[in-house]
Amino acid sequence: MSALSYLPSFPLPAHPVLLFGLLLLAGFAGGEITHRMLKLPRITGYVLTGLLLGVSGLGLIDHELAREAQVFVDIAMGLILFELGRRLDFKWLRRDRWFAATAAAESTLSFACVYLALVYLDIQPLYAAVAAAIGIATSPAVVMLVAQELRAEGQVTERALNLVAINSVVAFVVGTMLLSWIHLEYRAGWVTVLSHPVYLLAGSLLLGYLASWSAILLGRWLGKREELHLVMLLGLIVLAIGCANVLKLSVLLALLAFGVMAKNMDHNHDLMQVDTGKIGQLFFVVLFVVTGATLRTNELMTGGAIAAVYILARFVGKSVAVLSLVHLSGIRPGSGGLLAIALMPMSGAAIVMVHNATGLYPEFGARLAAIVLSAVLILELIGPIAVQFALRKAGEAAQERG
Amino acid sequence: MMEQMLEFKSSSGFSMGVELELQILNSRDYNLARDAADLIGLIEKTRHPGAVKPEITESMIEVNTSIHRDHGSLVEELRRIRDAVAQAAAHMNLRIAGGGSHPFHEWSDRRIYPTERFEHILEVYGYLAKQFTIFGQHVHIGVPNGDEALYLTHIVSRYVPHFIALSASSPFQQGEDTSYQSSRLNTVSAFPLSGQVPFVRSWSEFLEYFNKMRGFGIVESMKDFYWDIRPKPEYGTVEIRVFDTPLTVERAAALAAYVQALARYILCGRPLPPSREVYMVYNYNRFQACRYGLRGKLVDAYSQRHVTIKEDILDMLRVIAPHAAELGATAALEQLMADVVTERSDAGWLREAYRSRGSLNDVARMQSELWMGNALMGA
Repeated sequence: MSALSYLPSFPLPAHPVLLFGLLLLAGFAGGEITHRMLKLPRITGYVLTGLLLGVSGLGLIDHELAREAQVFVDIAMGLILFELGRRLDFKWLRRDRWFAATAAAESTLSFACVYLALVYLDIQPLYAAVAAAIGIATSPAVVMLVAQELRAEGQVTERALNLVAINSVVAFVVGTMLLSWIHLEYRAGWVTVLSHPVYLLAGSLLLGYLASWSAILLGRWLGKREELHLVMLLGLIVLAIGCANVLKLSVLLALLAFGVMAKNMDHNHDLMQVDTGKIGQLFFVVLFVVTGATLRTNELMTGGAIAAVYILARFVGKSVAVLSLVHLSGIRPGSGGLLAIALMPMSGAAIVMVHNATGLYPEFGARLAAIVLSAVLILELIGPIAVQFALRKAGEAAQERG
Repeated sequence: MMEQMLEFKSSSGFSMGVELELQILNSRDYNLARDAADLIGLIEKTRHPGAVKPEITESMIEVNTSIHRDHGSLVEELRRIRDAVAQAAAHMNLRIAGGGSHPFHEWSDRRIYPTERFEHILEVYGYLAKQFTIFGQHVHIGVPNGDEALYLTHIVSRYVPHFIALSASSPFQQGEDTSYQSSRLNTVSAFPLSGQVPFVRSWSEFLEYFNKMRGFGIVESMKDFYWDIRPKPEYGTVEIRVFDTPLTVERAAALAAYVQALARYILCGRPLPPSREVYMVYNYNRFQACRYGLRGKLVDAYSQRHVTIKEDILDMLRVIAPHAAELGATAALEQLMADVVTERSDAGWLREAYRSRGSLNDVARMQSELWMGNALMGA
């Protein structure tokens, strides 16, 4: 043992907490600069910071580090999906059937338009279908966080969040079912083909069910104390995220189900509404920096044309559905267009889905990435701006302080 | 020209109409929402009686009934308006609640409803305009001319504590129990033009006063006076504005029936002369009613006796019973009497809701469930 062995060895090893701090501060600085100098949403600044530091920029955050940071990304997604799930109100969909119809049409048409456009571009049906399934979903993180940043409330905000919750679920279910097709394509055994989607769907739903049931019972026992409910819910959220990871289930579906069931099974109103936003903010910054870091600008050169068609077809699908149906719900004229714009951001979950596919079948993943990820890159940057525009234009943003 | 504007339109005796200011809540945490414009737009597309209008902030709507002669038709119309408003709100995943105040909203979150008049009020009164997100019931009683309107105003002033105690439903403000039964009127008192009508007896004297105030540049129209009781020349009515919006439309109709029977008693029998002394004890009595409700003590300026508001109301209910019978309001006033005897009040209901649930979010939720009735059962 040398005399100086207590000193750290160089180069310094990667440490998750150090990484978290660095990502947080870098993203935070980028967000503030973007917000103050360019008047753009902070989220766009986080993504730009990630792009700058990531594989397409300075290369400081490589795949290794991005994987280290995945735990924070998962926590951020879990918090957002839980909150989003709590906004999805089944009773509302039953009262306003035109809104339910809007949700169904919006998911169906955005899938159909993207699928047909991609097939028209000579992309094989399986790839077109998986890419289209990913396109159904609007980014829960972007819509939630822009709405929170603007402290927006009103019909456009509420309806956008409900539509996002629904299209996220639909995208996930369709994507999971297509998994069978992928397995089949790669000649996996029948057991895998049939059981993998069932395991993912049923397992994630069950996990969400157990978590929400525990939350309601604990909430009843704790009584109406907001600070206690906050800690209890955060604990259950993190636990559920961990379980989903360990059990190879879907964090997305499990946490969304947790939120939805916590809202819709709580008939005695035992659970309080808590504000996870302030605590979540730490993780949300890291989420977007890491997302930005994993985006590849070089794919934009090769996949740019496909991305443009993809984005356009998706927007057409969503707009046609929303514009033709939402006015039947009786909201103000003009709200439909804004609602369609607010649904533009693409889900960072797309990246996760591509990665998962890559994990299973690397060749498939690479080809899917070429189709989808350029569109994700563009919409990660434009999406927050679109949502901000829509909610402000709808007059639903709170007056901004300074 | 000014005088023409304030010509007092004659109304047939003892007709009545009701205005209710209502709370728009979200269905997540039951805080105030901001959807008045969308909600009014949707209600206008449905068939409904009465009228629905915006109020000072985007979290409020006002509903008006048409003119009624008896309690039965009034309560019927109020129920139909309630159902129309409640169904439209449920369609937008909103909730509507009665009650004089929202239990926990923060006034600084409120946004002014974008009309020229409301923007002007914000300009003039600053934060008071947003704090004015409180919810009252106004009752109009038809009178034949301006002189009668002033007489009725001066005599009814004696009974203002009754109206406050019977309607009190604003025990909570900004997340705290205020210890008042009606905290809403404290907010009204902050406005410089609140208070009472000047002690004039004829409409011509009143016009002189009004034109002077206009000449000073203090007011432009009658709307600028935030008086507790205000003659409304263009409707030909006396408008009583001290009521908190009750938790149900049935209660609102019963309160209107009480005012109607009282007005008939006053105008038919002319039992009392107008007295300046009523206004000397006015603010004390008003405070007692706001603070303690039915258990408050009032000073009767005519007899100089101290009585509890509860006893005073019960006495009055007995006195006006024949007039109530004449107007077809006996059952409504008997129900009111039963509530006074057992000291049941909306403020008490709200405090009990808080005691049993321990959360003001739950209080607001239960408030909305009570007001909306069956509209939420549909799905």
